[in-house]
Amino acid sequence: MRVIQNLKAIPKVQKFRYGMILLASMSLLGPLAFLPQLVGNDDLCGQLCMRRFYLYFPGMTWDDFFVHVNSAAIGVMAFALILITTLFFGRIWCGYLCPVGGLAELSSRMLNDRWKIEFRSLPQVQIRYGYFGFYLIAMPALGISACSLCNFITIPRLIEAMSGEYRGMIYLVSSVGLVNLALLLLLGVFASKGRAYCQFLCPIGAADSIVNRIGARLPFAHRIRVAKERCTGCNICARNCMCGAIKMVDKIAVVDQMSCMSCHECVDVCDWNALAWTAPPKHKHNSPKRIKKNTEIFPLPDWQAIHIHPVKENAEGRTVPQISGVSIFNAMVFLTVISVIIVGSFL
Amino acid sequence: MIRSFFLLFIFLLSFNVDAGPRYSDPDGCLSCHAYEGLNFIDENGVFRSATIDSEHYASSLHGSVPCKDCHREVIDYPHKVENTEVDCGASCHIEEPSEGVKYSHDVIHEEMDKSVHADGWYKGLTGGNRLEEVETEQDPSCRRCHSNTAYIAESQLEKFKEAFDHAETECGNCHQGKAWMGQFGGHILRRFVGRRWNNIENNQLCIQCHGDIEAMRDVTQEDKETHEKHPPSERFVQSSASYTKTLHGRLIDANSDFGASCIDCHAPEGWKHEIRAYTDEKSASHPDNLGESCGQSNCHGYTKKPGNEGFTMTDMHSLSLLGLHSMDKPLEDADLWESNWFRGALPLMVAGIALAIGSLAWWILYRTDKKIIAKFGGDRFERVMIGRKPKKARAKAAAKKPRVAKKVESTEAADTLKETTETVVKAKAATAEMKETPKKPDVENKVENNTVADIAKETTEAVVKKQASISEPAETPKKSDDSES
Repeated sequence: MRVIQNLKAIPKVQKFRYGMILLASMSLLGPLAFLPQLVGNDDLCGQLCMRRFYLYFPGMTWDDFFVHVNSAAIGVMAFALILITTLFFGRIWCGYLCPVGGLAELSSRMLNDRWKIEFRSLPQVQIRYGYFGFYLIAMPALGISACSLCNFITIPRLIEAMSGEYRGMIYLVSSVGLVNLALLLLLGVFASKGRAYCQFLCPIGAADSIVNRIGARLPFAHRIRVAKERCTGCNICARNCMCGAIKMVDKIAVVDQMSCMSCHECVDVCDWNALAWTAPPKHKHNSPKRIKKNTEIFPLPDWQAIHIHPVKENAEGRTVPQISGVSIFNAMVFLTVISVIIVGSFL
Repeated sequence: MIRSFFLLFIFLLSFNVDAGPRYSDPDGCLSCHAYEGLNFIDENGVFRSATIDSEHYASSLHGSVPCKDCHREVIDYPHKVENTEVDCGASCHIEEPSEGVKYSHDVIHEEMDKSVHADGWYKGLTGGNRLEEVETEQDPSCRRCHSNTAYIAESQLEKFKEAFDHAETECGNCHQGKAWMGQFGGHILRRFVGRRWNNIENNQLCIQCHGDIEAMRDVTQEDKETHEKHPPSERFVQSSASYTKTLHGRLIDANSDFGASCIDCHAPEGWKHEIRAYTDEKSASHPDNLGESCGQSNCHGYTKKPGNEGFTMTDMHSLSLLGLHSMDKPLEDADLWESNWFRGALPLMVAGIALAIGSLAWWILYRTDKKIIAKFGGDRFERVMIGRKPKKARAKAAAKKPRVAKKVESTEAADTLKETTETVVKAKAATAEMKETPKKPDVENKVENNTVADIAKETTEAVVKKQASISEPAETPKKSDDSES
């Protein structure tokens, strides 16, 4: 009965979201694989691959790039569609549809939180783009197949294996499959809220996040926004955010649009309506709605999407954003060096 | 080569010849061989047919070539079976009209001679028993792949006729005469219009033999230098099965133009017959030549440039892509335990199993707990994302109020008697305040509470045994913790 109560306690939007993930999983993954089979595929690879065509090989020309684009044409179209929806509505694909991150998240949510690894507090933007750069540039040159650490192979194969298909089982007992399965366990099932793979390794998510961040300034963009004057600092949103995108800065929730998936959970749990998934407000910033007896009244919330939080101070005493290009570059160099050492020791 | 071919084609486009009768049989072979039921039983006891369907032959690629042009040793009747052998490398009687040179397959023959398939019966093309060849020979002869297929595919016939008519009016202006149009024009046009082989069919040709795993196991390979004979590797045996699992194979299966067929990589140059072993330095699949082979037009052009050695090393026949059922010894040590991927997986798997067991155990034992902080990284999350003080600082802050813990940690109770008496009094005052607030169960701070309580116990015993009770100072840290969060 407790299970049913717990299920009932899930906020409405989250129920919808879980349903969408399950629906997307059923139509995109085996044994039905309804959508991939429309183009004669039974998994998310080959023509449907969204993760490979932007790899940079040394000395590559535009012609080579277009060859890559053509060979995965449907994947490219899907990728473009994802980016366009992101521009308008936030990362809907990642949060609501992606069967790969979604299934890991759902399985993680069924487990006790105590024995999970809390990845959300790591500097995820730096790590993500560090790995992204490594993935785009260093991996092709080192000769590591981009497919070898790809979750978009593992999850379909895992589902195939569970539905009794032979090829899926074969993949999961191959050595590459074992590594991927272990990664899925550590970064998915046993990660707190189950989205660590999305946060750190997913190249689609990395590209998507950039669009999400760029679009956040546009006047029509729906994003998760905070009304600072309403936030009480109760930090329930930060605890529930599956991406680790909400951080309490000076006891006020601050959304990092580089990580936010617009999953809406923070809005559902906030008791003070301090967060909302909306377009920016029409009224002018900081202008009072009316002035009554020389008192400025602010009845309208000022929905803010981007907060460059002045956390660090440099030597000159100026405040700088916490996520700087330099730190991302450092992470890229660091990850590349580590990976070269690891790969070099294997070769 | 292609350019000259193209120029030739341009010439040929202007032709004016009536398509003459194509059922020529100057040697009179068909007077016997056209009979249906011309069968015999050979020395192996195999029932064989010597009937030639004249219509089928005439519509084939060699339909305009008289029998004796190839079967040269057949001079009189009756002829012996051995004399029917054909040398495909010999020059034909058909002449290339513009140059007057006799046409020959010798170019291809020379190329074939360099390839791994060189030991076949390519000189005895139609001679001998086909069944015997398949059973005894591991290398293919010409005819094993080039069955005398129909001249033009039926699907292309209309297009071909159209082009042929066009050629008569256009090309025939210059290239007049039967030789051009009847014998050569059609031949060239077929190449352009009747090109009937796509990548799927090309691969099917190779898979006919290489897909037969049992037959491939029987192949003996020879070391070029030491001439030692050895059975083939599993990688060779499974080459077609593993290829179909790669992106190349999958794209071709999906009828995409972007997949690379067998020939595209193994014999990219010339007449596509020079398939060498990958250990051969001249082979297109030799590691040194891979940059050039992968970088052919329309493929991975960047591989010709330095820095892509890693990319070209990608294994296109990797056994790890195969299912266990198709392998001889699927879980050999070398395949699994000594694989770097597997070694990499082991620690990750151990961690995964530990987390799984812990998660299950915790669910059984502590599932009613409300406040849960993750074991790994939970404290960092509280600190970085929520903005609470780190665990140690929280403990310190908890101990700060009574000021007992820090002093007594130095365990010099006798020296600090005066101070401890003061702190006990303070602690008493604090507990008096605390009594008003309701008590909450707090699992997380149990450990800290106990230590503080123990310390407080020691101190209070040292000063006045009857004054302080054990539970009172235990309440003090809770207040500080609540106020903080």
